[in-house]
Amino acid sequence: MRFAALNAVALAIAFFFATVAGAADPSLCVACHGDGGNSTNPAVPSIAAQPRQFISTALYMFREGYRKDPQMTPMAANLSNADMNELAAYFSKQPAAPARHRARPENANAGPQLVQKFHCTQCHGGELQGLQQMPRLAGQQYDYLRAQLSGFRDRKRGDLDGKMSESAQGLSDGDIEALADYIAGLGARQ
Amino acid sequence: MNRIFIAAAIAAAFALPAFAQDKPAASPPPSWQQGKPSAMSESTLHPFAIEVTGKAATDLPIDKLKVPSGFKVEVWAEGMPGARTMAQGDKGTVFVGTRQLKEVYAVTDRGGKREAKVLLKGLDAPNGLVFNKGTLFVAERGRITRYDGIENQLDNPPQAKVVVDNLDPNNQPGHFWKFLALGPDGKLYFNIGAPGNIVMPTYMEASIMRVDMKGTLETVAQGVRNSVGMDFNPKTKELWFTNHGRDWLGDNSPNDTLHRLSRKGMHFGYPYCHQGDTPDPEFGTHRSCKEFDKPALKLGAHVAPIGMRFYTGKMFPAEYQNNIFIALRGSWNRTVKQGYNVMRVVLDDSGKVTKYEPFLTGFLLDEKADPPMWGRPNDVMVMKDGSLLVSDDQNGIIYRVSTTK
Repeated sequence: MRFAALNAVALAIAFFFATVAGAADPSLCVACHGDGGNSTNPAVPSIAAQPRQFISTALYMFREGYRKDPQMTPMAANLSNADMNELAAYFSKQPAAPARHRARPENANAGPQLVQKFHCTQCHGGELQGLQQMPRLAGQQYDYLRAQLSGFRDRKRGDLDGKMSESAQGLSDGDIEALADYIAGLGARQ
Repeated sequence: MNRIFIAAAIAAAFALPAFAQDKPAASPPPSWQQGKPSAMSESTLHPFAIEVTGKAATDLPIDKLKVPSGFKVEVWAEGMPGARTMAQGDKGTVFVGTRQLKEVYAVTDRGGKREAKVLLKGLDAPNGLVFNKGTLFVAERGRITRYDGIENQLDNPPQAKVVVDNLDPNNQPGHFWKFLALGPDGKLYFNIGAPGNIVMPTYMEASIMRVDMKGTLETVAQGVRNSVGMDFNPKTKELWFTNHGRDWLGDNSPNDTLHRLSRKGMHFGYPYCHQGDTPDPEFGTHRSCKEFDKPALKLGAHVAPIGMRFYTGKMFPAEYQNNIFIALRGSWNRTVKQGYNVMRVVLDDSGKVTKYEPFLTGFLLDEKADPPMWGRPNDVMVMKDGSLLVSDDQNGIIYRVSTTK
């Protein structure tokens, strides 16, 4: 509740400046994504130290309507390709904060097997650190991870090539819970 | 003892399906891993994704590009993310298709500067383009359409008219984006690829087909896994095309191939036989490579040949006349990468290959890095002035190769 209110204020400020400046200004992003792109809001993803190509691809998907989000869609609407490349380069170079999330012991135990069962590392890389257009999952916000996994499984989350939606088809609600909890507790490679 | 064993077996037989219902089956691995043998399960090889926002030429090591002595290469146009197949209009417009995105671009020359703009939007993998007598034909995943008189109305393109539809009834993953070429018979030639890496195709798949302007379809070649480049020999009028071989048979097998269609109905082996002489470990067991037609040339393992065109221009030296240029967009499915060049193929008068050599190089930076390249040649096109355009879908850039004299 408190997060939501803070978020709304931050977003209103960001919108105001986005309209005025109309360009790629990282300070508008950190209003929601946290200092240097390290989010402290469980529903908002960290973008610090994410692969450059993943960030530019995500922004492109919001602008072009492949991904829809009440907050991100308008933020991306007026960005040019060059703006997106600039923001992606900037946040990919910001250091990731250590993960603060602690997984429940049963999920920490079950996590590695679930990661293997659902082939997560085949695209997201060993230790789920991300690579090229693939996001780093390790240390990502728990609520955000849970929402994305459900969205892919229910085919409500945009997916340029359909691969992640296919991969999520076998997930149960319990799998999603356990995977999100486990992965959020993993550290980003420093 | 026996009775206990039987009772246990019966109990297990009932218990297992119940257990399986409680736990949903894991999803299959990503589709590009289909056919990966267990011996390669630790392999981290993966395909590379394009930069969907494109890249500016000023951010790329363009000076690494090399062409033979007497030629030069330069950036011709940029700002077209996913730029692939090219076709030139009568008035000089260069049309550019995409596969991963939904746009067709138009590039026009404004006083020596190229201006690129989005011409068509919202199409389904509009990879195939042919321009003929004022009409732009576009091959999407499931249909081929025509845009009449489009060069006169680039700011307000006409509505698409369908030439043929329902070419992709299943809407499943697979090699179903299309290249398009105009035959000397006035028909449009295109590919329908294989439904996966190594999968038994259904009756229209793994083929090259042609369609006339009334929408009548014919199959002209079979056993073609994934061809995304074709052209007609200007001397013999035969169709030549490139083809991608299967993945996950190791660094050096099989080769991707160049083919010559000397009669309608040739079968080039997929999924039974690769590169004309290598039986598939699974599908090849009960068939022989002797049953199938052979490629004209082996291009290298996993090099992903896309666009190919015969050189018919007047600018390059005489020995380049009727040579074939081929753009190699890979490799990814080998531990030590190769390719990422535009290659030159020389044929003798009988159509036999006498030379296969690099023409434009420098995209491959580090054969063991991930990614190994900074750009990927996708299509080649001979301009009316005789220069050669090369598209790079990784960055959304088109380069131009011309002679220095």
